[in-house]
Amino acid sequence: MNYDLVVGDPRTVARVINMAHRFQCRASRVDSTSTDTVTTAHFEFAGDAKQLDRLRAQIDRIVQFEKIFVS
Amino acid sequence: MIPAITPRPRTGGDAVLEALEREGVDVIFGYPGGTIMPFYDALYGHPMRHILVRHEAAAAFAAGGYARTSGRVGVCCATSGPGATNLVTGLVDAMMDSIPVVAITANVRMPLMGTDGFQEADVCAITQCTTKASILITDPAQLYTKVREAFALARSGRPGPVLIDIPTDVLKAPYVPEQNPPRKVNDVKPVASAESVKAAVDAIRSSHRPVAIAGGGARDPKAVKAFRELCALLGLPHTTTICGLGASDPNDVHGLGMLGMHGTKASNLTVHAADVVLAFGMRFDDRVTGRPDRFAKEATIVHNDIDVSEFDKIIPTHVKLHGDAADTIKAIIAELKSGHVPRFDDWAVQAKALGGPLPSDVSKDGHLSATDFLDQLFAAMPAKAIVSTDVGQHQMWAAQRFKPNAPRDFCTSAGLGSMGFGFPAAIGACFANPGRPVFAICGDGGFQMTMPELATVKRYQVPVKIVLIDNRNLGMVRQWQELFYDERYSATNLSDNPDFCTIASAYDIESFRINGPEDAPGQLAAFLAYSGPALLHVSCYPMELVWPMIPAGGVVEDLMESKG
Repeated sequence: MNYDLVVGDPRTVARVINMAHRFQCRASRVDSTSTDTVTTAHFEFAGDAKQLDRLRAQIDRIVQFEKIFVS
Repeated sequence: MIPAITPRPRTGGDAVLEALEREGVDVIFGYPGGTIMPFYDALYGHPMRHILVRHEAAAAFAAGGYARTSGRVGVCCATSGPGATNLVTGLVDAMMDSIPVVAITANVRMPLMGTDGFQEADVCAITQCTTKASILITDPAQLYTKVREAFALARSGRPGPVLIDIPTDVLKAPYVPEQNPPRKVNDVKPVASAESVKAAVDAIRSSHRPVAIAGGGARDPKAVKAFRELCALLGLPHTTTICGLGASDPNDVHGLGMLGMHGTKASNLTVHAADVVLAFGMRFDDRVTGRPDRFAKEATIVHNDIDVSEFDKIIPTHVKLHGDAADTIKAIIAELKSGHVPRFDDWAVQAKALGGPLPSDVSKDGHLSATDFLDQLFAAMPAKAIVSTDVGQHQMWAAQRFKPNAPRDFCTSAGLGSMGFGFPAAIGACFANPGRPVFAICGDGGFQMTMPELATVKRYQVPVKIVLIDNRNLGMVRQWQELFYDERYSATNLSDNPDFCTIASAYDIESFRINGPEDAPGQLAAFLAYSGPALLHVSCYPMELVWPMIPAGGVVEDLMESKG
């Protein structure tokens, strides 16, 4: 499962990797770039299909936490 | 008596305090320490009410109790390092049950961060995975804005905790007034699509055996009203999770009580037999579903949640209603009323008949049955009482028996199951609901985890009534050892408990004692009549178990009503 992340807080990358570990998935590739205001990351995850679905849903959820603010 | 205040330069601490005032905060539960001193200096003589607890864990639980029973954001604060880490359980607790809490911690000054400075802990990292956000503020000019944004985030969508960590040099820095207004909140609630609402109504109309379930997402009074209206409109049998207790109208004869591991037989059997399950604001916790592949397996699952990640997480959902519970239920009602409105009274009567009275052990060997006592307590409790429980057997007995008028009248640590929660949460509930009677129902294990809060009760004369169900055991663990571990009672015996009334007396708190069934009526009446904080020690039969029970990971056919 691939996931492309665009967030303000670079620590979200670490949060996603921790979450993958908790979901018994593996972040097999992580590419990330940060500026002062934006962090982008490309993840490639391996794992059980159902767990990957749950992981995707939870990443969507934490990304939404940032999106409540309109700059 | 606060002595005259010497004028002092305003600091970042004042900015934080002003931001809290702007957010309508009226009380903070906290504990001071080295790095947070600039904030406490700003608090000195300030009208904002600060409640000094005796352990930071209690501050987080009290903030949770305040929020759970009021719907407003609860606030707690602590110093760096151990102060901050002691808040963590309460924050995870709030995250699990979607409770809006803002925690303010201080940290070491910025040049020391990362050097393992005295009382330094990376609390932002520690809480990153267990809060909606953990925010480190490094710029004094951003204090005002970031604090206010933390509140917006805690309240928005599915509520939850937010932690703000502020280095002490930022708190000490000269005061900077609000520079920029907080970023605007795009808190437009998702609205369930018309197609999904129609699909839900189609499922209801084609159903013969529907059941509705209300969870914590239906805590809001508007959702409660809508849920009750829907149930009344359809003559619908309905149940709740532990977080949804009180969503059901206590006078609705089709209410089946709580669902799940220690839920009623009627609710569990009805959900199992249902052909349509209407689930509002609940997340299909494992304590509710048991074995998920056998949960309501014949039913069309209609699931409403504000959090899209809950769909299909545990139970495959046939109809997804992504939206706020109140709005979604109202939309369903409107759609129903635009056409045929079915009635399910006959099925509701059948559903109720699937159960029966709660199994209850009777008094044994001259000891008092905790369930008999709780029945007496709830019958005698004043109207509009708020009940806060700790975690364990007494929690389940209370959840089975207390009939709250609204979900916010029953305050319990559901998802995380944090022992030590009940007493400080009740203190928080008292501050959120002045004038209302608040009861903390605790077990002897959990009470001892936050017992020093008796000092908080004494200092502020918090009018909480503490009901201590003492079975001299960690009863729930003991129950599992009895049933599933061949009676190997490892580390659950608390027969050397202290004399709790003597302890209450040491804190100058009135206490009452029930040693056996014969004491109960008189001591309970005296306890209830006492004005002010009081502790009622109830010595109970130690072997009483919680029934019914569906073992963990079990199915409804495994439901036990007695040991035999």
